Amino acid sequence: MKLSYRVRIGIISVLIVFFFLALNLTPVGKEVRNFFYLISEPIQKFFWRVGDRVSDFFELITEIKNLKKENEELKLRIQELMSEIVALKELKKENETLRKALGIGLEKEFKLVLAQVIGKDIFKDSILVNKGSRDNISKGLPVITEQKILIGKIKEVYENFSKVILISHQESSFDAKILEAEIYGVVKGKGNFKIFLELVPKEKEIRERDLLVTTALGGIFPKGLLVGEIKEVKKSDIEPFQQAEIKPFFDLKELEKLFIIFE
Amino acid sequence: MKKLIILILGFYFLTLFQISFFPHFFLTNSLNFILILVVLINLFEPRKEKLGLFSAFFGGFFLDIFSENFFGFWVLIFLAIAVFLKFILRKYVQIPIFKPT
Repeated sequence: MKLSYRVRIGIISVLIVFFFLALNLTPVGKEVRNFFYLISEPIQKFFWRVGDRVSDFFELITEIKNLKKENEELKLRIQELMSEIVALKELKKENETLRKALGIGLEKEFKLVLAQVIGKDIFKDSILVNKGSRDNISKGLPVITEQKILIGKIKEVYENFSKVILISHQESSFDAKILEAEIYGVVKGKGNFKIFLELVPKEKEIRERDLLVTTALGGIFPKGLLVGEIKEVKKSDIEPFQQAEIKPFFDLKELEKLFIIFE
Repeated sequence: MKKLIILILGFYFLTLFQISFFPHFFLTNSLNFILILVVLINLFEPRKEKLGLFSAFFGGFFLDIFSENFFGFWVLIFLAIAVFLKFILRKYVQIPIFKPT
Protein backbone atom coordinates (compact mmCIF):
# COMPACT_ATOMS: atom_id res chain seq x y z
CA MET A 1 0.00 0.00 0.00
CA LYS A 2 1.41 3.33 -1.01
CA LEU A 3 0.72 6.30 1.28
CA SER A 4 -0.47 9.53 -0.27
CA TYR A 5 1.81 12.57 -0.36
CA ARG A 6 -0.18 14.43 2.33
CA VAL A 7 -0.17 11.45 4.71
CA ARG A 8 3.59 11.09 4.29
CA ILE A 9 4.14 14.78 5.04
CA GLY A 10 1.88 14.45 8.11
CA ILE A 11 3.81 11.43 9.43
CA ILE A 12 7.16 13.15 8.89
CA SER A 13 5.93 16.32 10.68
CA VAL A 14 4.69 14.29 13.68
CA LEU A 15 8.02 12.41 13.84
CA ILE A 16 9.96 15.72 13.77
CA VAL A 17 7.79 17.12 16.58
CA PHE A 18 8.36 14.00 18.71
CA PHE A 19 12.08 14.10 17.95
CA PHE A 20 12.40 17.68 19.23
CA LEU A 21 10.12 17.06 22.21
CA ALA A 22 12.33 14.13 23.20
CA LEU A 23 15.47 16.28 22.85
CA ASN A 24 14.01 19.11 24.93
CA LEU A 25 12.23 17.17 27.64
CA THR A 26 14.72 14.39 28.35
CA PRO A 27 18.41 14.48 29.36
CA VAL A 28 19.24 13.20 25.86
CA GLY A 29 19.34 16.84 24.66
CA LYS A 30 22.20 17.65 27.00
CA GLU A 31 24.06 14.52 25.90
CA VAL A 32 23.60 15.43 22.24
CA ARG A 33 24.91 18.96 22.83
CA ASN A 34 27.87 17.67 24.84
CA PHE A 35 28.69 15.16 22.09
CA PHE A 36 28.72 17.84 19.39
CA TYR A 37 30.75 20.24 21.57
CA LEU A 38 33.25 17.46 22.22
CA ILE A 39 33.82 16.55 18.57
CA SER A 40 33.88 20.22 17.52
CA GLU A 41 36.20 21.51 20.25
CA PRO A 42 39.51 21.27 18.30
CA ILE A 43 37.99 22.94 15.22
CA GLN A 44 36.32 25.65 17.32
CA LYS A 45 39.57 26.38 19.18
CA PHE A 46 41.33 26.70 15.84
CA PHE A 47 38.64 29.01 14.37
CA TRP A 48 38.59 31.15 17.54
CA ARG A 49 42.38 31.61 17.44
CA VAL A 50 42.45 32.33 13.69
CA GLY A 51 39.56 34.81 14.07
CA ASP A 52 41.41 36.55 16.87
CA ARG A 53 44.56 36.96 14.79
CA VAL A 54 42.79 38.03 11.60
CA SER A 55 40.69 40.63 13.48
CA ASP A 56 43.82 41.90 15.25
CA PHE A 57 45.50 42.35 11.88
CA PHE A 58 42.59 44.32 10.40
CA GLU A 59 42.20 46.36 13.58
CA LEU A 60 45.86 47.33 13.35
CA ILE A 61 45.37 48.62 9.81
CA THR A 62 42.24 50.62 10.64
CA GLU A 63 43.48 51.93 13.97
CA ILE A 64 46.98 52.92 12.88
CA LYS A 65 46.01 56.63 12.74
CA ASN A 66 44.74 56.70 16.30
CA LEU A 67 47.61 54.70 17.77
CA LYS A 68 49.89 57.67 18.41
CA LYS A 69 47.21 59.67 20.18
CA GLU A 70 46.13 56.64 22.19
CA ASN A 71 49.74 55.89 23.10
CA GLU A 72 50.22 59.36 24.54
CA GLU A 73 46.99 59.10 26.52
CA LEU A 74 48.00 55.71 27.87
CA LYS A 75 51.42 57.00 28.90
CA LEU A 76 49.74 59.72 30.94
CA ARG A 77 47.36 57.18 32.45
CA ILE A 78 50.29 54.91 33.38
CA GLN A 79 51.95 57.77 35.23
CA GLU A 80 48.74 58.44 37.14
CA LEU A 81 48.37 54.77 37.97
CA MET A 82 52.01 54.43 39.05
CA SER A 83 51.57 57.13 41.66
CA GLU A 84 48.34 55.46 42.77
CA ILE A 85 50.15 52.09 43.07
CA VAL A 86 52.82 53.61 45.32
CA ALA A 87 50.13 55.05 47.59
CA LEU A 88 48.25 51.73 47.60
CA LYS A 89 51.39 49.77 48.44
CA GLU A 90 51.91 51.89 51.50
CA LEU A 91 48.29 51.37 52.49
CA LYS A 92 48.70 47.63 51.95
CA LYS A 93 51.67 47.53 54.29
CA GLU A 94 49.77 49.49 56.88
CA ASN A 95 46.78 47.20 56.46
CA GLU A 96 48.91 44.07 56.92
CA THR A 97 50.54 45.50 60.06
CA LEU A 98 47.15 46.38 61.51
CA ARG A 99 45.74 42.94 60.62
CA LYS A 100 48.69 41.28 62.34
CA ALA A 101 48.22 43.50 65.38
CA LEU A 102 44.50 42.68 65.50
CA GLY A 103 45.07 38.98 64.80
CA ILE A 104 42.98 38.87 61.61
CA GLY A 105 44.32 36.65 58.82
CA LEU A 106 44.61 37.86 55.26
CA GLU A 107 41.66 37.12 53.01
CA LYS A 108 42.04 33.92 51.09
CA GLU A 109 42.38 34.21 47.34
CA PHE A 110 39.88 32.52 45.08
CA LYS A 111 40.13 28.91 44.06
CA LEU A 112 40.17 29.02 40.26
CA VAL A 113 39.81 26.73 37.29
CA LEU A 114 41.27 27.72 33.94
CA ALA A 115 38.87 27.51 30.98
CA GLN A 116 39.14 28.36 27.32
CA VAL A 117 36.52 30.16 25.23
CA ILE A 118 35.56 28.18 22.14
CA GLY A 119 32.42 29.87 20.83
CA LYS A 120 29.82 32.59 21.14
CA ASP A 121 26.07 32.38 20.75
CA ILE A 122 24.96 34.06 17.54
CA PHE A 123 22.39 36.52 18.93
CA LYS A 124 22.79 36.31 22.69
CA ASP A 125 25.56 37.46 25.01
CA SER A 126 26.74 34.03 26.04
CA ILE A 127 29.88 32.04 25.39
CA LEU A 128 30.90 28.41 25.50
CA VAL A 129 33.89 27.30 27.61
CA ASN A 130 35.64 23.96 27.69
CA LYS A 131 35.04 23.02 31.34
CA GLY A 132 31.98 21.14 32.57
CA SER A 133 30.52 18.94 35.28
CA ARG A 134 33.49 16.59 34.94
CA ASP A 135 35.67 19.44 36.28
CA ASN A 136 33.19 20.04 39.15
CA ILE A 137 31.73 23.15 37.52
CA SER A 138 28.22 23.98 38.66
CA LYS A 139 25.52 26.49 37.74
CA GLY A 140 25.96 30.06 38.98
CA LEU A 141 29.77 30.07 39.43
CA PRO A 142 31.39 33.43 38.56
CA VAL A 143 33.74 33.72 35.60
CA ILE A 144 36.61 36.25 35.53
CA THR A 145 39.73 37.08 33.54
CA GLU A 146 43.32 36.98 34.70
CA GLN A 147 43.05 40.64 35.76
CA LYS A 148 40.02 39.91 37.99
CA ILE A 149 37.64 41.47 35.51
CA LEU A 150 34.14 40.04 35.82
CA ILE A 151 32.90 38.28 32.69
CA GLY A 152 29.68 36.59 33.82
CA LYS A 153 28.42 33.42 35.40
CA ILE A 154 27.80 29.81 34.45
CA LYS A 155 24.30 29.29 33.14
CA GLU A 156 24.28 25.72 31.95
CA VAL A 157 26.65 22.84 32.59
CA TYR A 158 27.30 19.90 30.29
CA GLU A 159 29.66 17.03 30.94
CA ASN A 160 32.72 18.67 29.34
CA PHE A 161 31.49 22.19 28.58
CA SER A 162 29.57 25.09 30.11
CA LYS A 163 27.56 28.03 28.83
CA VAL A 164 28.54 31.34 30.40
CA ILE A 165 26.18 34.31 30.28
CA LEU A 166 28.10 37.57 30.05
CA ILE A 167 27.29 40.48 32.38
CA SER A 168 25.71 42.17 29.36
CA HIS A 169 23.20 39.31 28.92
CA GLN A 170 19.57 40.32 29.49
CA GLU A 171 19.24 37.81 32.35
CA SER A 172 22.25 39.23 34.18
CA SER A 173 21.66 41.49 37.19
CA PHE A 174 23.84 42.03 40.28
CA ASP A 175 24.86 44.59 42.90
CA ALA A 176 27.87 46.82 42.36
CA LYS A 177 29.36 50.02 43.71
CA ILE A 178 31.45 52.87 42.43
CA LEU A 179 34.90 52.37 43.85
CA GLU A 180 35.85 55.85 45.03
CA ALA A 181 32.45 57.20 45.98
CA GLU A 182 30.80 54.24 47.75
CA ILE A 183 27.70 54.66 45.57
CA TYR A 184 25.69 51.46 45.31
CA GLY A 185 23.47 50.36 42.45
CA VAL A 186 22.31 47.40 40.39
CA VAL A 187 24.15 46.44 37.20
CA LYS A 188 21.79 45.12 34.55
CA GLY A 189 22.63 43.62 31.19
CA LYS A 190 20.57 44.83 28.24
CA GLY A 191 21.93 42.47 25.59
CA ASN A 192 24.18 43.23 22.65
CA PHE A 193 27.10 44.10 24.99
CA LYS A 194 25.21 46.95 26.67
CA ILE A 195 25.36 47.26 30.47
CA PHE A 196 23.68 49.82 32.72
CA LEU A 197 24.02 50.84 36.34
CA GLU A 198 20.53 51.38 37.70
CA LEU A 199 18.68 52.26 40.92
CA VAL A 200 21.20 54.93 41.91
CA PRO A 201 19.46 57.82 43.75
CA LYS A 202 19.49 61.06 41.76
CA GLU A 203 21.25 63.07 44.44
CA LYS A 204 24.39 60.89 44.25
CA GLU A 205 26.99 62.21 41.88
CA ILE A 206 28.34 59.78 39.31
CA ARG A 207 31.15 60.89 37.02
CA GLU A 208 32.33 59.50 33.72
CA ARG A 209 35.28 57.07 33.98
CA ASP A 210 34.38 56.12 37.57
CA LEU A 211 35.34 52.51 38.25
CA LEU A 212 32.70 49.97 39.15
CA VAL A 213 33.32 46.87 41.30
CA THR A 214 31.10 44.07 42.55
CA THR A 215 29.80 43.92 46.11
CA ALA A 216 28.94 40.86 48.15
CA LEU A 217 25.29 41.97 48.40
CA GLY A 218 22.95 39.48 46.83
CA GLY A 219 25.57 36.76 47.04
CA ILE A 220 25.91 36.39 43.28
CA PHE A 221 29.54 37.44 42.90
CA PRO A 222 32.43 37.87 45.35
CA LYS A 223 33.19 41.47 46.23
CA GLY A 224 35.91 43.52 44.58
CA LEU A 225 35.76 42.19 41.01
CA LEU A 226 36.16 44.85 38.33
CA VAL A 227 33.04 45.39 36.25
CA GLY A 228 33.79 48.41 34.04
CA GLU A 229 33.86 52.17 33.95
CA ILE A 230 31.05 54.71 33.67
CA LYS A 231 30.61 55.76 30.06
CA GLU A 232 27.59 58.06 30.19
CA VAL A 233 25.26 59.24 32.95
CA LYS A 234 21.55 59.60 32.17
CA LYS A 235 19.29 61.62 34.44
CA SER A 236 15.61 62.29 33.96
CA ASP A 237 13.38 64.72 35.89
CA ILE A 238 10.51 62.30 36.12
CA GLU A 239 12.55 59.30 37.30
CA PRO A 240 13.50 58.94 40.99
CA PHE A 241 16.73 57.17 40.05
CA GLN A 242 19.52 57.90 37.64
CA GLN A 243 21.04 55.49 35.17
CA ALA A 244 24.55 55.17 33.79
CA GLU A 245 25.87 53.26 30.83
CA ILE A 246 28.90 51.13 31.65
CA LYS A 247 31.78 50.33 29.37
CA PRO A 248 32.86 46.80 30.27
CA PHE A 249 36.56 46.14 30.78
CA PHE A 250 36.57 42.97 28.73
CA ASP A 251 36.57 42.73 24.97
CA LEU A 252 34.96 39.56 23.70
CA LYS A 253 37.27 39.48 20.69
CA GLU A 254 40.29 39.30 22.97
CA LEU A 255 38.92 36.71 25.37
CA GLU A 256 40.60 33.36 25.19
CA LYS A 257 41.55 32.16 28.66
CA LEU A 258 39.14 32.63 31.55
CA PHE A 259 38.96 31.58 35.18
CA ILE A 260 35.95 30.06 36.91
CA ILE A 261 35.82 30.83 40.64
CA PHE A 262 35.18 27.72 42.70
CA GLU A 263 35.29 29.13 46.21
CA MET B 1 22.65 10.92 -0.96
CA LYS B 2 26.07 12.33 -1.77
CA LYS B 3 24.55 15.83 -2.05
CA LEU B 4 22.89 15.41 1.35
CA ILE B 5 26.12 14.38 3.08
CA ILE B 6 27.96 17.37 1.57
CA LEU B 7 25.08 19.60 2.67
CA ILE B 8 25.18 18.29 6.28
CA LEU B 9 28.97 18.67 6.52
CA GLY B 10 28.79 22.12 4.90
CA PHE B 11 26.24 23.37 7.41
CA TYR B 12 28.16 21.84 10.31
CA PHE B 13 31.37 23.68 9.38
CA LEU B 14 29.51 26.89 8.57
CA THR B 15 27.92 26.79 12.05
CA LEU B 16 31.33 26.36 13.66
CA PHE B 17 32.63 29.25 11.56
CA GLN B 18 29.64 31.35 12.54
CA ILE B 19 30.06 30.87 16.30
CA SER B 20 33.87 30.74 16.57
CA PHE B 21 35.28 32.88 13.75
CA PHE B 22 32.74 35.60 12.92
CA PRO B 23 32.23 36.94 16.50
CA HIS B 24 35.68 38.55 16.14
CA PHE B 25 34.48 40.90 13.43
CA PHE B 26 32.16 43.82 13.93
CA LEU B 27 30.45 43.48 10.55
CA THR B 28 29.84 39.75 10.66
CA ASN B 29 29.13 39.50 14.38
CA SER B 30 25.36 39.33 14.15
CA LEU B 31 24.88 38.30 10.54
CA ASN B 32 23.27 34.90 10.27
CA PHE B 33 25.17 33.25 7.42
CA ILE B 34 23.32 29.97 7.86
CA LEU B 35 20.01 31.74 7.24
CA ILE B 36 21.48 33.44 4.18
CA LEU B 37 22.65 30.09 2.78
CA VAL B 38 19.29 28.44 3.47
CA VAL B 39 17.49 31.25 1.64
CA LEU B 40 19.90 31.10 -1.30
CA ILE B 41 19.56 27.32 -1.67
CA ASN B 42 15.77 27.60 -1.57
CA LEU B 43 15.75 30.41 -4.10
CA PHE B 44 18.02 28.85 -6.66
CA GLU B 45 17.39 25.09 -6.52
CA PRO B 46 15.09 23.53 -9.13
CA ARG B 47 11.47 23.72 -8.00
CA LYS B 48 10.81 20.01 -7.43
CA GLU B 49 14.05 19.44 -5.48
CA LYS B 50 13.88 19.07 -1.71
CA LEU B 51 17.44 20.03 -0.85
CA GLY B 52 16.21 23.44 0.38
CA LEU B 53 14.04 21.78 3.02
CA PHE B 54 16.89 19.54 4.15
CA SER B 55 19.21 22.56 4.32
CA ALA B 56 16.64 24.37 6.51
CA PHE B 57 16.41 21.36 8.82
CA PHE B 58 20.13 20.70 9.23
CA GLY B 59 21.14 24.39 9.28
CA GLY B 60 18.58 25.00 12.02
CA PHE B 61 19.54 21.86 13.91
CA PHE B 62 23.24 22.75 14.08
CA LEU B 63 22.44 26.32 15.07
CA ASP B 64 20.14 25.00 17.83
CA ILE B 65 22.92 22.79 19.17
CA PHE B 66 25.36 25.67 19.47
CA SER B 67 22.92 28.30 20.69
CA GLU B 68 21.10 29.00 23.93
CA ASN B 69 17.63 28.31 22.56
CA PHE B 70 15.64 25.12 22.88
CA PHE B 71 16.00 22.38 20.26
CA GLY B 72 13.79 23.13 17.30
CA PHE B 73 13.84 26.94 17.59
CA TRP B 74 15.93 27.62 14.49
CA VAL B 75 14.67 24.48 12.72
CA LEU B 76 11.10 25.79 12.89
CA ILE B 77 12.10 29.27 11.71
CA PHE B 78 14.20 27.98 8.82
CA LEU B 79 11.62 25.38 7.75
CA ALA B 80 8.89 28.03 7.77
CA ILE B 81 11.06 30.30 5.60
CA ALA B 82 11.92 27.46 3.21
CA VAL B 83 8.28 26.36 2.82
CA PHE B 84 7.17 29.98 2.34
CA LEU B 85 9.82 30.58 -0.35
CA LYS B 86 8.92 27.35 -2.15
CA PHE B 87 5.24 28.25 -2.07
CA ILE B 88 5.84 31.78 -3.40
CA LEU B 89 8.22 30.59 -6.12
CA ARG B 90 5.91 27.81 -7.24
CA LYS B 91 2.75 29.92 -7.30
CA TYR B 92 3.76 33.40 -8.32
CA VAL B 93 7.28 33.59 -9.75
CA GLN B 94 8.27 32.66 -13.27
CA ILE B 95 11.98 32.97 -14.04
CA PRO B 96 12.72 31.84 -17.61
CA ILE B 97 16.30 30.71 -16.92
CA PHE B 98 15.12 28.14 -14.36
CA LYS B 99 13.24 25.22 -15.82
CA PRO B 100 10.10 24.37 -13.83
CA THR B 101 11.15 20.73 -13.38
